[in-house]
Amino acid sequence: MIISLRDINKTYPGIVPLHVLKDINLEIRRGELVSIMGASGSGKSTLLNILGILDNYDSGEYHLDGVLIKDLSENRAAELRNRMIGFVFQSFNLINYKNALENVALPLFYQGVSRRKRNALAMEQLERMGLADRAHHLPGELSGGQKQRVAIARALVTNPSIILADEPTGALDSKTSKEVMETFRNLNDEGMTIVIVTHDPGVGAATNRIIRISDGQIGDGNV
Amino acid sequence: MKIALFDPENWREIGATLARNKTRTFLTAFGIFWGTAMLTMLWGGANGFEGIMRRNFAGFATNMGAVFNGTRSISYKGFNKGSYWNLTTEDVEKIRQVAPAIEHSSVVNSRSATFVYNDKSKSGSAMGIEADYTNIMQPVVYEGRFINATDVAGRRKVAVVGRNIANELFGSESGVGKYVSINGIYFLVVGIAGQTSEASISGRVDDSVILPSSTFQTAFNWGHAVGFLIYTAPQGKTPSDNEAAIRRVLGSVHSIHPDDERAIGFMDISETFGMIDKVFLGIGLLALFVGAGSLLSGIIGIGNIMWIVVKERTHEFGIRRAIGAKPLDITVQVLSESILLTLVAGVAGVCFGCLVLGVADKVTVDPMLGAAGFQTTFTTAMVIVGLFFVFGTLAGTLPAIKAMKIKPIEALRDK
Repeated sequence: MIISLRDINKTYPGIVPLHVLKDINLEIRRGELVSIMGASGSGKSTLLNILGILDNYDSGEYHLDGVLIKDLSENRAAELRNRMIGFVFQSFNLINYKNALENVALPLFYQGVSRRKRNALAMEQLERMGLADRAHHLPGELSGGQKQRVAIARALVTNPSIILADEPTGALDSKTSKEVMETFRNLNDEGMTIVIVTHDPGVGAATNRIIRISDGQIGDGNV
Repeated sequence: MKIALFDPENWREIGATLARNKTRTFLTAFGIFWGTAMLTMLWGGANGFEGIMRRNFAGFATNMGAVFNGTRSISYKGFNKGSYWNLTTEDVEKIRQVAPAIEHSSVVNSRSATFVYNDKSKSGSAMGIEADYTNIMQPVVYEGRFINATDVAGRRKVAVVGRNIANELFGSESGVGKYVSINGIYFLVVGIAGQTSEASISGRVDDSVILPSSTFQTAFNWGHAVGFLIYTAPQGKTPSDNEAAIRRVLGSVHSIHPDDERAIGFMDISETFGMIDKVFLGIGLLALFVGAGSLLSGIIGIGNIMWIVVKERTHEFGIRRAIGAKPLDITVQVLSESILLTLVAGVAGVCFGCLVLGVADKVTVDPMLGAAGFQTTFTTAMVIVGLFFVFGTLAGTLPAIKAMKIKPIEALRDK
């Protein structure tokens, strides 16, 4: 199991505490292409944040690739995010004053990889995404689909255990969406574990397993 | 763990970030640049203004005093109130023996006279002095030489002609070696001289004819009488330290009542210069105060813009944190940027300030008096850069700590 969630609970404190995740149990095997689907407010973003070690949970246990993710320090969390998780966001989240190559190379900078080596590795990923000729373009000079593929290249550059994608096609037109999903499918064929959070049924249909979440609970018959 | 501040990779990243955000970098850098430039110009300017004032007294001993004769204000030993007494050569010898704080001294005799050479004539002041005069009021000798001790001892009929008078009498010719008539008595001209200082003792050298004091006394029938005596005090003493001794000497010789303060005239210009010193101390303090103010506003400026930068870049820091930047990485990045900016812009500001000072120095050069000294020392420049560096870094620390506390999940939501 690359991801194993056991009785995960998460409540946002407040005047009216919000119990967003209720006893979540979830297992994802290595090499799976999974989508997590749910309406807005269902808790799917919170689940993704917990999976991505961006947020904490209150009770339960989360193992990522055999490592217990619980009560980590900021430094340890950053290190695990850097080495184990590749993020792909709806709004791409590229740094706009860095060109495609530098954006892809950035995670390696935080690993202390030398400039020459990280540029070589980043170039390799851009080639894999078919963007070698766009390496020195700024994000503003790229189309939406190209930006998302740069973001995927950045997610892949550290050779992570899983890729977490948050509405990766949310800002793209249907043709580009299909292309991006195709890219994910190809990566999955090469053995990469991919988890996509979406509310788009088309995207869900393009994955091998759909996990439905509503009211903080995983729907029946999905696990 | 490697130290980010010494990691070339880190600096390359910071250099790229600064270079790609030109407007922001320029605005931040300009604030620092302007602060250090202002401080440099302010402190160097204060030096320059002091130089402009002080060069007026170049060659003029600032610890000078004088004693001169007067009238008795108390009747004493048969001399009536209002009676006149005269300072003499013998008095001067006695004063030199007993006065405790005299380093250099010279008699100064002075009267108006008419100078004639061939068909040209000019009126001015004739001055009799001793050789030590040059140690009190340094003249500028343009040609020939000044009056020396041999001239005084030998009562030689030699004269040093002030430059302005020489121009009138001799025109473009050299005056040295010629004979000039002073009130009908001929003197050999041995030198042409003037003075740099704006201050003078009984007329500027440029507008006077200088004679040996002994010759002066003989030529103008002064007998043993002396105009007045000027003297300087050695380091650490003031001319006034001599007053009591001089009073005793002159009191016994000339029958002056011990309480008769007004009978003997004293002057101590070191008191005036002490006042000028206080004025410059005031200007210096003002410059320091205003400088500290501009330093403070510069530092607040750095802190302010770094704060805005952190706000503006919250989303970027969120992305960086999500893909693996540790809190400390972000802090180091923000701090390194402010350190680099402060250093580069600070040094550039000091250089610019020095350039402006250099121009001011050139513009205010006086052909006679020389440069005013619109300058800062290397140490001052280093102190200015150092102050900005230290306080700029401190001002950048607060925003950097704030940047460290940004949670990636919140930052990513902030779009």
